[in-house]
Amino acid sequence: MLAFLGSAGMLVAVFGAGLLVWRGVAAARGDGAGDLIGAARVLIAGAVVAMGAMVIALLVDDFSLVYTANHHAAATPFPFNVATAWAALEGSIVLWGLVLAGYTWFVAARYRRSPDRLGAASLAVMGVVAIFFFGLMATVANPFEVCVEAAEIGCVESSWWPFAAADIPSDGPGPNPLLQNHLMMAIHPPILYLGYVGMTVPFAYAIGALALGVAGPEWLRRSHRSTVVAWSFLTLGILLGGWWAYEVLSWGGYWAWDPVENASLMPWLVATAFLHSGIVQQRRNMLQAWNLILVISTFSLTILGTFLTRSGTINSVHSFTQSAIGPALLGFLALTLVGSFLLFATRAEVVATSGRAKTFVSREGAFLINNLLLTIYAFVVLIGTTYPLILEAFTGTQVGVGEPFFNRLAVPLSFLLLLVMGFGPITPWGEAPPGLLWRRTRNPVVVALAVGLAAAALVTRNGWVVLSITLGVFVIGSIVGLLFEQAGKRVAKTDQRLGQAIRAVLTGDGAFWAGQLSHVGVVLVAIGIAFAANLGTHLEVDLEPGGSVEFEGYTIVYESPFQQSHPSKTTIGSRLSVLRGDRLVTIAEPAVNIFNDTAVPTPEVLHGPGGDFYITLLDIPSPESATLTLDTSPMIWVLWLGGLTTVAGGFLAMRARRHERRPAPEPRAIDV
Amino acid sequence: MSDGPHRNLERSMSERLRNVVTVTVVAVMAVTLVTLVVTDRSQPDRVQSIGQRIKCPVCQGESIANSPSAMARDMMDVVAEKVAAGETDDAIIDELLGSFSGAVLLDPPAAGSTLVLWLAPAIALMLGVVVIVWWRKHPTEHRPSPRPRARRIVPIALLAVAFGTIVVVAGSFLQDRAGPASGVAAIDTENLDDVSNETMKAVIAANAGHPEVDGMRLALAQRYFDANDYRLAFPHYLAVAQSPDATDTQAVTALVRLGWMAWDGNAEVETALELFDEALAIDEGSVTARYLKAQVLWCGAGDLDEAETLMQDILIDPDLPVDSREQVRREIEAIRAGTACK
Amino acid sequence: MSGRFLRWVGYGIAAIAVAFAVVLASRFGTDPGLVDSPLLGEPAPAFALSPLEGGEPVALEELKGDIVIVNFFASWCLQCRAEHAALTSTADAFAGQGVTLVQIGYQESPPASIDYLELAGRSESALYLADPGSRAAIAYGVFGIPETFFIDEEGIVVGKIIGESDALVLGATIDAIKRGERPGQSVTGDTSQRPED
Repeated sequence: MLAFLGSAGMLVAVFGAGLLVWRGVAAARGDGAGDLIGAARVLIAGAVVAMGAMVIALLVDDFSLVYTANHHAAATPFPFNVATAWAALEGSIVLWGLVLAGYTWFVAARYRRSPDRLGAASLAVMGVVAIFFFGLMATVANPFEVCVEAAEIGCVESSWWPFAAADIPSDGPGPNPLLQNHLMMAIHPPILYLGYVGMTVPFAYAIGALALGVAGPEWLRRSHRSTVVAWSFLTLGILLGGWWAYEVLSWGGYWAWDPVENASLMPWLVATAFLHSGIVQQRRNMLQAWNLILVISTFSLTILGTFLTRSGTINSVHSFTQSAIGPALLGFLALTLVGSFLLFATRAEVVATSGRAKTFVSREGAFLINNLLLTIYAFVVLIGTTYPLILEAFTGTQVGVGEPFFNRLAVPLSFLLLLVMGFGPITPWGEAPPGLLWRRTRNPVVVALAVGLAAAALVTRNGWVVLSITLGVFVIGSIVGLLFEQAGKRVAKTDQRLGQAIRAVLTGDGAFWAGQLSHVGVVLVAIGIAFAANLGTHLEVDLEPGGSVEFEGYTIVYESPFQQSHPSKTTIGSRLSVLRGDRLVTIAEPAVNIFNDTAVPTPEVLHGPGGDFYITLLDIPSPESATLTLDTSPMIWVLWLGGLTTVAGGFLAMRARRHERRPAPEPRAIDV
Repeated sequence: MSDGPHRNLERSMSERLRNVVTVTVVAVMAVTLVTLVVTDRSQPDRVQSIGQRIKCPVCQGESIANSPSAMARDMMDVVAEKVAAGETDDAIIDELLGSFSGAVLLDPPAAGSTLVLWLAPAIALMLGVVVIVWWRKHPTEHRPSPRPRARRIVPIALLAVAFGTIVVVAGSFLQDRAGPASGVAAIDTENLDDVSNETMKAVIAANAGHPEVDGMRLALAQRYFDANDYRLAFPHYLAVAQSPDATDTQAVTALVRLGWMAWDGNAEVETALELFDEALAIDEGSVTARYLKAQVLWCGAGDLDEAETLMQDILIDPDLPVDSREQVRREIEAIRAGTACK
Repeated sequence: MSGRFLRWVGYGIAAIAVAFAVVLASRFGTDPGLVDSPLLGEPAPAFALSPLEGGEPVALEELKGDIVIVNFFASWCLQCRAEHAALTSTADAFAGQGVTLVQIGYQESPPASIDYLELAGRSESALYLADPGSRAAIAYGVFGIPETFFIDEEGIVVGKIIGESDALVLGATIDAIKRGERPGQSVTGDTSQRPED
């Protein structure tokens, strides 16, 4: 029954998508308005039914579905049983499809029926993407196949026919134990997908505009809100992923330049560039070629990312196993890239805009530099991730490219970006009048150096930390300075009090200041990472019961080992007393969870204003000894706070009252 | 106002003074800061920094410094030992690469095949700068030209070709890795020339009970038989003869050999004849069985009539190899003549 | 003018995309974890390990002149269990023929290995050694088990099998080495890296 529902849902979705493409193309050509919202409704109905069937199957332990049989276990507690829906390959594509259908419906709801060829063309493009994903679901990656030959656990053979005679296994293997350790499993993938999939919208608008041969900022303006939404969720998704990794995999685990992490970073970098660069096109009608290339790249990178993690061509902690999905995704990626850029090439005259930045010392110039830096950054991540593949394809030799390489290039780029972040917002559009920049930067520079000096003298002399603090204070100083400058002008002109003036300035250009808040967030992230990565300490120790060790001002006393049994796992742990001086801070119980045969460590984290103190149980080789590692991650909370601030900026920008963005042909002398 | 220009001059002078002071302060602070940082005496942990550059071989991409796995910790112990022994970073890494190969290096060297990796971003950056600068110098001339329909076909054709190429190439690479031929099933019992007796013994011992090992048994036993080592050949022939999975041909061969060894080795006529009859029960047309039975009847049992009948049956049997006919004919004549066999 | 430039940018990126896709496609069906051992053709790394039950360490040096088969195993490795009979029978078959089998425990405590061998069986002529601290495994660059190294009479590593071996492959490799050939590396299947695999 559920197999039938799920399969039917998929097919309905494919049908809806096809309908959308058909009507969208017709409307884009000018043959009437077309009932696109109707088609979008069919699409989302199918997607919801498919997802619903999957979730219900997981909740009621219906093992006749091959997906449940191979990935679910009856003992899995809520919410991990629901999260199993996207824990494995086929299910994650169902989730992708659902989110895509949601965005498509959202866009279709705003489709104005009177000739709106751009809207129709964009919806047609989204329909094509939906056909691919739902088609993938219905053919190669079908989770609703019925199990026709079962093993003790799991399914041996399956059939796509929903009414086939089912051979139901008594249980399934359950989701990967690493994925049952933390609530994030239920939250992180959907949020990340809201980000990834959302990038389809600006892409669709861009392709629609190219196909119709209409240039100009309209496609940008109409898709801007979706871009901001998608970017915010993508940022949040990456942040949550990092936090989850940190909690589960312990120290430094928030980012390891793992191929899947890179797969999410690349589109984020290019999307950030696109977000910024789009402003220039909306305000000054420039950089259209950049914007088109950036948005096509963003979408392509989301597909590439999916391909890299699903196809098994690269090893990663996230690896799903090889299957035919790899070639399908690669084919779609190639089609997207080649098709989009060929379209770009044929519409080249339309693409080229007339505006040119007069000088680099201008807002446009800053954005241009920003584009370049972010693109290079994404390029570095791309070649680092794919180089082992490429080299092996050509020469057969094997190389590893990991953290040292990425850090070496990413860190300088990040600092350059911080610098641009400080200068950019205080640089006016057009040409900066002489002395303006100096007036705006001299105070922030002085303050930044002073704080940096103080940090070097009092906290640490580590170069990276000091540099990040100095640059960070400079950026924040620039922003605050700008705010006060504008508020000051208001006070001078209108007699408002300063507080009121500040509020007025902030709400007057909400999107801009929301962006500045995100910049503050990025600064905090940089500072947090600098501290945690450079000033962390590490110690591995063997303790016997009653033994103790001193570390970073703490005293750890090993009390005793313990063991607990749960339905799906056994927990082996060690009970420790953590003291500071004579005062007992807490009883820590780092443990190792053993699911069937897999052992997953659950470290104990002590949070504090100075940072996190990490205790990981590695092994209890005998009742007389436990092997522990102790780590500190100083100031790591700054990283999480910064990440949340960055996301907050994005969400605030969504809600901000839109400042009128008409392309002005003649930039005014002082224009912020 | 009469003091306007004067006030302006004052303001610009104080402005300039302020600027000078600011620049001086900034310069002093900057220099101090840089000095403080550069003279930072904290020793980096060599073991950790080396460990960050080596990938843990049993993990997915983690370095041995960061991985909690036992193998990673053992490797860090090795690194720590070598650091304590005074080896340089590069020497330690080279040693590890010499054991594991370059695949465990997370930090690709700026040389050789990975030089591209370091150069590419720099080149991309320069390219980007060049493009931006060039772009600024060449403004767009708006010449909207109507695009003839024919020219639309070119990009679509290119697209189709490109996509087709990818599909074909991807498909051709999508072959399953053929599992390497190994194991008993892959043994080609006609081509065992290169395989030593010991290897065969090992295979048979490791696969006793496997239905396909009978062929190998026969091959090994044949070698012993040819070397006249009946004692070593016997257990293998017996195993094949008793094996429920042996093919008829194999069983017949084994029985026939056993019969011959019984006669030739132990002069056990009855046993030999029984074995030959067993073989003939499976395959009554077996030329070898009948021939050897005839031989035993002639030489052992002295039953010349039976022997002659069998030999004559064999002579007209189309399965008898042509070059053996002559010998069979001669032996028939010998039997008729009552000659004793050799 | 800039239109033409952009057109070429578009075509250029499309062409690069095709090349990139082809390169990625060529990696289908290959194992991203597979590496070639740099030890082939080199002198075998020395080791001196005690037997599982304890006692005087046995050095690789002492076995020079024989063909030495070094096999890394553990009780939790399914492929190792599957190939154990083949290794034992090969050791028996070639006993006294200048071939010595050395089995080294990988990431496992000696008592666990001893218990396992009790069930799985031993060969009289083979050596069963413990590897505390994984020194030998590291020296031999073991990525996962089972891995089996073949060292010729002069102490050079001439062969390596990754994955489960069988009597035919083992015997054929020994035969080849006796003839003076260098069989090189072959992959017969998957390896296990941790007990939970």
